[in-house]
Amino acid sequence: MTTPVLEIERLRKRFGGVIAVDDVSLRLEAGRIYGLIGPNGSGKTTLFNCITGVERRDGGRVRVSGERVDGLRPWEIAQKGVGRTFQVIRVFPELSALENLLVVTRGHLGGARTRALELLRFVKLEGLRDEYAGNLSYGQQKLLEFVRVLMRDPTLILLDEPAAGVNRTLLNDLLDAVRQLRDRGKTILLVEHDMKVVMGLCETVFVLDHGEKIAEGAPGIIQTDERVIEAYFGR
Amino acid sequence: MTRRRAALAALAAVVAVLAAYPAFASGYGVRATLQVFMWIVLASSWNLISGLTGYVSFGHVAFFGAGAYAGAILVAKAGWPWLPAALAGGVAAVLLALVIGYPCLRLRGPYFAIAMLGLNEVLRALVSYFEGLTGGGNGLSLPTLDATIPIYYAMGASAAMVTLVTHAIITSRFGLRLMTIREDEVAAEAMGIDTGRHKLYAFLLSAAGPGIAGALTARDQGYIEPISVFPLATTITMIVMVLFGGKGTVWGPVLGAVVLFVAQEVVWTRYPYVHPLLFGAIIVAVVLLMPRGVLGILQIRYRLPRTI
Repeated sequence: MTTPVLEIERLRKRFGGVIAVDDVSLRLEAGRIYGLIGPNGSGKTTLFNCITGVERRDGGRVRVSGERVDGLRPWEIAQKGVGRTFQVIRVFPELSALENLLVVTRGHLGGARTRALELLRFVKLEGLRDEYAGNLSYGQQKLLEFVRVLMRDPTLILLDEPAAGVNRTLLNDLLDAVRQLRDRGKTILLVEHDMKVVMGLCETVFVLDHGEKIAEGAPGIIQTDERVIEAYFGR
Repeated sequence: MTRRRAALAALAAVVAVLAAYPAFASGYGVRATLQVFMWIVLASSWNLISGLTGYVSFGHVAFFGAGAYAGAILVAKAGWPWLPAALAGGVAAVLLALVIGYPCLRLRGPYFAIAMLGLNEVLRALVSYFEGLTGGGNGLSLPTLDATIPIYYAMGASAAMVTLVTHAIITSRFGLRLMTIREDEVAAEAMGIDTGRHKLYAFLLSAAGPGIAGALTARDQGYIEPISVFPLATTITMIVMVLFGGKGTVWGPVLGAVVLFVAQEVVWTRYPYVHPLLFGAIIVAVVLLMPRGVLGILQIRYRLPRTI
């Protein structure tokens, strides 16, 4: 058995009396696309935050490519090859689109520039490369945030609602990009409310409810799972 | 690139005039220009940590005071010449920044500002307490020495140095990383930027200039006391200069230092009572009408680089 790209064991996180993530265990293999779904407040974003070190976990282990990362600082985890986008866009508003990409790189600046321009072209933002990111439209900022993650060439990519607020044409490009990344061996975990996107894209789906993982499996199977239906529609 | 060459030529001319200035200027002229240099050092240094990195320091005069006391003690008690004492003042300020940077830079927003304010008050109390070394509340007198003109050049070189360093930082990836801390520290960390280390570097850099300026000022004035080198008003003045000129730019703090110092001198000599009133009015006007400052507005409107 190969080492999973991401392995979570009994992860726990509580905020006061609320258990946001309750003993969740997941295993993500290389070169696959995973979905994380669940009703609002089920702990999806908190789980992302615990994986990336933005929130401190209260218990459990997180391994990236076999290496323990829980307890590390967010930037250390990012340097282990984890990239993420945020549910609420977090581009650097007073940096230009190009600078937003250059700033996250290390090493040779010339090479980084070539790659940044390539990525801007890919999301059709090359004409706006010198524009402040804060002046871009919502969808454009979303795309910029997406390619900013790619600048660092992470092995594991966490996308928090990539489809929200993006128009259909852009969305199809974005989904194609995600598939291409998968084909290049990257592992993607995405939180998404748009079920069409989840069902069309993901190979395995995890379902959270009240911080607990209640189901896991192929999209077709998840759709008919009674606990999932109950979580979404009530008994 | 002709515009760039014209700008460089203008800059060289200004430097040449300032270098020749003491040869034909009055004593007052040299002293006033020396003060402008000092304000450029202070404002540009504050700009590094607060304008660029977004950690607003309300106690930055602490580094000025620390440098002043370190330099003055070395001159008065150990007989050091003023130039090495000035550099030692810079080193002392950087060491102080290193010690307090670790705990204070964990704080964000207003908490950091208040912690820095507190630091300044603590330092002022400390130098008042250790009378043996600092002379306490009676102050510390330095041996008489007329070195205003060499100190003019040293302060001018410091101002040029801080401006050059700011330019180098703002045009580098290191500078961009500092700006991401200001823009969104959580996102910066998630993108693999070691924000703690970067903040600390910016903080250390922002302490060096004020330390040197403090030691030079102490030597030039020949006498220091706790209330003269740790006044909150000095921090406020550097903040206003940066806000007026344009935070996060290279020349904004320089412009702010020159314009506000000249305005202050003109008003001060003619209407001593109007002075605080006018200064207060400038603060309110800047914050309300142009929070980005003069160069900040031009930068946004005409899409100029931050190197203005």
